[in-house]
Amino acid sequence: MIVNWPQVLFNSVVTGSLYLIGAVGLTLTYGLSNFPNFAHAEFITLGAFISYGVAHQLELSLLPALIITFLITGAIGFLCYRGIFQPLARGGANMIHLMVASIALGFILRYSIGAAWSWKPLYFSNVWPLSSLWSHHDIGLLSITNLWLWLIFAAVALSVIMHLILVKTKIGKAIRATSSNPELALASGININRVIWLTWFIGAGLAAIAGIFRGADTQIWPMTGWDIILPVFAVAILGGIGNYYGSIAAAYIIGLAENIGVIALLAVGLSTEYRVGIAFLILIVTLIAKPQGLAMLFRKA
Amino acid sequence: MGAIFAAEKIAAGYGDVVIVHDISINADEGEIVAIVGPNGSGKSTLLKSILGFARLFGGRIIYQGKDITGITPDRAVSLGIGYVPQINNVFPNLTISENLDMGAYQIKGKASIKAGMTEIYVMFPELGTRKNALAGNLSGGERQMLAIARAMIAQPKVLLLDEPLASLSPKPANAILSKMQKIKEAGTAIIIVEQNVKKALSISNRGYVLVNGTCAMEGEAASLFAEDFSKERFLGLEARGIDKGLPCVHN
Repeated sequence: MIVNWPQVLFNSVVTGSLYLIGAVGLTLTYGLSNFPNFAHAEFITLGAFISYGVAHQLELSLLPALIITFLITGAIGFLCYRGIFQPLARGGANMIHLMVASIALGFILRYSIGAAWSWKPLYFSNVWPLSSLWSHHDIGLLSITNLWLWLIFAAVALSVIMHLILVKTKIGKAIRATSSNPELALASGININRVIWLTWFIGAGLAAIAGIFRGADTQIWPMTGWDIILPVFAVAILGGIGNYYGSIAAAYIIGLAENIGVIALLAVGLSTEYRVGIAFLILIVTLIAKPQGLAMLFRKA
Repeated sequence: MGAIFAAEKIAAGYGDVVIVHDISINADEGEIVAIVGPNGSGKSTLLKSILGFARLFGGRIIYQGKDITGITPDRAVSLGIGYVPQINNVFPNLTISENLDMGAYQIKGKASIKAGMTEIYVMFPELGTRKNALAGNLSGGERQMLAIARAMIAQPKVLLLDEPLASLSPKPANAILSKMQKIKEAGTAIIIVEQNVKKALSISNRGYVLVNGTCAMEGEAASLFAEDFSKERFLGLEARGIDKGLPCVHN
């Protein structure tokens, strides 16, 4: 078997970029609210559908559709926290209760999306048929689409912007502080509810952006988010819950592992359907060997 | 002069368990008040209940003449009540200057934050030389300094300290004590909960002795310290014999 290694590496960066955008919100809300939000998958799905909807109805191109989708889905994420998880937590719900509630919320959202829109796959190429997003470039051994370049650019821009927010701004420092010690944050005079609300807004908004790229790269259907939630969780856990810098490293490690894994699967004659198993494997091994993930390497987050 | 801070007839605990029974304490401006007593006597619970970190079953909290019972911690900070917990009292993943930023969270305006920061570095020069060090990498003494500095940057009128000397060796412990002396001289009232009775009373004006969740004695720090029998009790050598002490007065 001849392996096109440059393409494998490039694909790994593309995959990692998608997982990173998907995982940042999950890891931040997990770190602050102390439970894994499984409905994060549906925030991804909602992003794909909402952007499809606004792009279709308002004839918007990628960037404005992306901004509007970020804002709408962010608001939905905030409402989910404010309306469901916060009252539950106040009433004494523990991590397991909240997690189960998030699974239920995910189901409700997923099947509502299916009922309201459709279970039949939708394609962005129908809304943006003439867009340059789909144009191919061949550079040496590499085959690249503009969409992938946009995805990588979005991930890099996100990394830089989130870094600046977390390190330079008052609210960003408050997010890190609240994540590490909510009681002390309160005793410092930080209104931790506002910090948590904002984080849920940003987290859901970023999930939606992952949904747009995933939807554009494959298809849009009610399972768009669920299809990638496992590697997204693997990134959050490998990176260390609540640890933003750890999740950057973890996203690309898992992206690479998955793309090399696909080659391994092909080499032994197995279906590439098993590629999701690779992220699952990393997830399990991390939980057994080093539950704190890469967090020790990136203490500052 | 009326007390700037008073907790009256406090009953507090966790869940359904009442640990502290009917305790009243107060502090005047520019005064250090020590709450001492053996392990498990309810000192920390009393302090935590003031800000809602422990459950308040009964009693009132009066600050500057106003009833602030049941206040949330972030509101308490904005009113001028600072609190330094015993453990986990710095943000380990934030640098020294970022920890101070968090302490200054409610201060409006970049200029006043900067001025406050400069003042803190004058008061705690050992922090000023390592502004960008992660709090998690500091020694125990430095951590405690930072914890107090984080609370002080908000310029509290009352500072609540939970066992600031715990697990410190004599040298850093004495350094903390001299900082407290300076904070007091600048006009902030300090209420300190401490197991190290000798050190706590040495810098305090007055003290309260807690035993088994009730106030066993109160009075001038010097007179409390002079009582032989009380020393025994502080050290936990003799938990009984409360009847020998001066009873706590509720006003």
